[in-house]
Amino acid sequence: MISLISYMGEHSSQIIQLLVQHIVMTSIAVAFSVVVGVPLGILISYVKKLGKPVMGAANVVQAIPSMALLGLAIPLLGIGKLPAIVMVIIYSLLPIIKNTYTGISGIDPQMVEAANGIGLTKWQVLKKVKIPMALPIIMAGVRISAVTAVGLMTMAAFIGAGGLGYLVFSGIRTVNNLQILSGAIPACALALFVDYIMGLIEKLVTPISLQKKFNSSKEQLKKARFRDKVILIVVFVLIASLIIQSAVSGMKTAQKTITIGGKDFTEQDILCNLYSDLIEDKTDIQVDRKASLGGSQVCFESMKKGEIDMYVDYTGTIYSNILGLPAKSDMDAVYNECASQMSDKYQTRLLNQCGFNNTYTIAMTKETQEKYNITNFQDLAAVSDQLRIATTLEFQNRKGDGLGGLIDKYNLNFQQVMGIDASPRFTALENGDVDLIDAFATDGLLKKYQLVTIKDDDGFFPPYYAVPVINAATIEKYPELEGVINKLGPYLTDEVMQQLNYEVDEEERDPADVALEFYQSIKDQL
Amino acid sequence: MIQLQNVTKKYKEHTVLDSISMEIKDGELTVLIGPSGCGKTTTLKLLNKLIQPTSGEILIDGENIESTDDVRLRRNMGYVIQQGGLFPHMTIRENIEIIEKLEKKQPKEIENNTIRLMKMVDLNPDDYLDRYPPELSGGQLQRIGVIRALANDPSIVLLDEPFSALDPVTKRALQDELVELQSKMGKTMIFVTHDMDEAVKIADRVCIMRDGHILQFDTPEVIMKHPADDFVASFVGPNRIWSSPERIKVRDFMLQDPVTCGPELSRDKCADRMAENHIDTLLVVDGEKNLIGVIDKQMLSLVTDPAACAEKLMKEPDRAIYDDSSIIELLSMIQDKELNNIPVLNRENRLVGLLTNSILVSTLSRQYLPRHTGKEAAK
Repeated sequence: MISLISYMGEHSSQIIQLLVQHIVMTSIAVAFSVVVGVPLGILISYVKKLGKPVMGAANVVQAIPSMALLGLAIPLLGIGKLPAIVMVIIYSLLPIIKNTYTGISGIDPQMVEAANGIGLTKWQVLKKVKIPMALPIIMAGVRISAVTAVGLMTMAAFIGAGGLGYLVFSGIRTVNNLQILSGAIPACALALFVDYIMGLIEKLVTPISLQKKFNSSKEQLKKARFRDKVILIVVFVLIASLIIQSAVSGMKTAQKTITIGGKDFTEQDILCNLYSDLIEDKTDIQVDRKASLGGSQVCFESMKKGEIDMYVDYTGTIYSNILGLPAKSDMDAVYNECASQMSDKYQTRLLNQCGFNNTYTIAMTKETQEKYNITNFQDLAAVSDQLRIATTLEFQNRKGDGLGGLIDKYNLNFQQVMGIDASPRFTALENGDVDLIDAFATDGLLKKYQLVTIKDDDGFFPPYYAVPVINAATIEKYPELEGVINKLGPYLTDEVMQQLNYEVDEEERDPADVALEFYQSIKDQL
Repeated sequence: MIQLQNVTKKYKEHTVLDSISMEIKDGELTVLIGPSGCGKTTTLKLLNKLIQPTSGEILIDGENIESTDDVRLRRNMGYVIQQGGLFPHMTIRENIEIIEKLEKKQPKEIENNTIRLMKMVDLNPDDYLDRYPPELSGGQLQRIGVIRALANDPSIVLLDEPFSALDPVTKRALQDELVELQSKMGKTMIFVTHDMDEAVKIADRVCIMRDGHILQFDTPEVIMKHPADDFVASFVGPNRIWSSPERIKVRDFMLQDPVTCGPELSRDKCADRMAENHIDTLLVVDGEKNLIGVIDKQMLSLVTDPAACAEKLMKEPDRAIYDDSSIIELLSMIQDKELNNIPVLNRENRLVGLLTNSILVSTLSRQYLPRHTGKEAAK
């Protein structure tokens, strides 16, 4: 508890910044869904034929898992705030449409007929009778949407849009419970606050004569309404100023800026920050850091769409995964092949390889190694039917150099194969739920959990040297980048990288701090 | 004047109104009545175009409403439904003034009109205007409903079973108020109800409908006394008229064509005429049928000159009653003075009938006897 408070205190400026992002994005999304959903609900209450298709579509969309929707949004909308907001809008629509429809069509038909009969036009009936009478129900829908939106918006971090989800996601990656909580607690508080505010609006828009307490205490009710109005005005002024502020600061970054992305694990967080620090220090270019975007595919797609200008990939990954070439163990041959093909096919440049090889490996506890006496893959093949393995989804899905290739090559036959997110697999291993996991050679968690790895005697895995991948157009625009970026590579050895990862994973430090500290220590030599 | 000409309304194959025609006169309160499903409410809603006729024409002051803009038409036509159809989220003032505001009338004018109307139905404007409908009783809501319909000063007001949910006491009070309002303001009112007592009480004319047809469209008296067919008779019910005796007019039960004589008739001839007709009173009229005197038997015996003409024999008529007076007025007249043989005059002072005690007794006794047709009883 105390450690949580001190953690949140230390990171308060980051938490507040993410909270503000979260509020701004949620407000925009909810406002948009109201603007779209209410008219749609009204429309289908008039044109009954449209009701079923519209509600059906909204229901189907609601049923799509949010992760999937985000994944689908990347090729269309790219990464960042826009697709995140669009995703939340889509999810928020259903309760609003549904409640608007229910509210409008639930009005006593006699009342509507009276309104028509005394000579109101259709529009006046809607404006003066239907909407005011349906407003409490419509607002109840908006309230549900807004509260759900706060929760959903945590997914935004998945595609680099920031928000409180960033802390949750990066906490999960690094098995840092304090970080998870410092994202989750404000998100939860925000949801409760939004619920309270929406409740106030709901009460205010309910015509005073239709409220339950109306007959007993009209005067009190009027006083309470005045107080509620004041609270709401204050809140809305605050939100509006936040939105304006973020819009203004958004405009400022329009000068000399590039965007560096990163995959969703510790090493990538560090590299993303490290290269950003380097570029900001040695050139006059500003860097927009979009760490923890997702797997290799997400980063590469974002790059193709121009959402990011640069990220760090690994030669083996590019070679077998992106280009689909058969595994090869010669590191220079692999690099050259990658560089020429990437340039031809995707207009991207590979800069110099870094000094560390983050190869895939299979890790286990010392006890397991001793019990089954496993040092290389041949040893593993002999006992694989007694072992359970948990790997990342990416490892399972990789062509050639993933789990499938490994099983084929050594004829493995595991007792059980599980797909699991990156960091939880270490916890699973420690808890004894599984016996083997995949890991990166430089993974700090290997050191943290004191795991041993299997030797790749046959060179099954291609070399995975880290290599900065940059958009050809970007390097053309800022040619100075090439020289600057290439300076850093030689300093990043296996040992350095494992140490940096360890500092984040074991010592629960912020990747940005670790990166900056390391950069300070070497910058005079660059 | 509102005219319906061969108006038919069908929903798919179901015929709700079957080629009905009628004429509603300006300034009258017309009641549409009939069992449920007879088409009375449909007829009402045709008038403000809430329902479109399948065929036929509806004319208001000679103009086909087909070509009138819906909103314009409705704003010149008040509309009152059960509970007044008031909007619960608006104050009483907002409810009353909604159309006037949309018509962009002067605020001062609207305010004065509202206050005037509130006073007309005995509701204190200061107490009620800023309240909301849920705070008011059913009777108060209905009054507000009526004045909302009157607020934009329409010439026609439609009322769709406005009083049917009210308790009997409130209902009676509101019926009285409505009749008073109507006669004061001279609006044409069309009132739908299923309550015959209500119809008889308030209507100038009643239109009895059944299965999309008009069975009878006439004044309540005529309908009660001369029902067009058995259905109307049973719908009206036996002795219905005794529940509103003010509807029983002298002309309905008086002796018509009483025995009269001219002023020049001689004494003997007068005596003969009385003897022939077994009567003891002779009414003397001039050429225009104006009553100029009365001769009774005793007076004849006092005069000895057989040639003396009636003009000399008669005495001034000291009492008479108009033919459109009700039986109530007649009874109170008799109560004041002990009378027999009251001549009946029309409004032009011409003699049209005579009332005798025996006729009065037989009329009064009718409510306790099995019903026979109106015509026989009157004779």
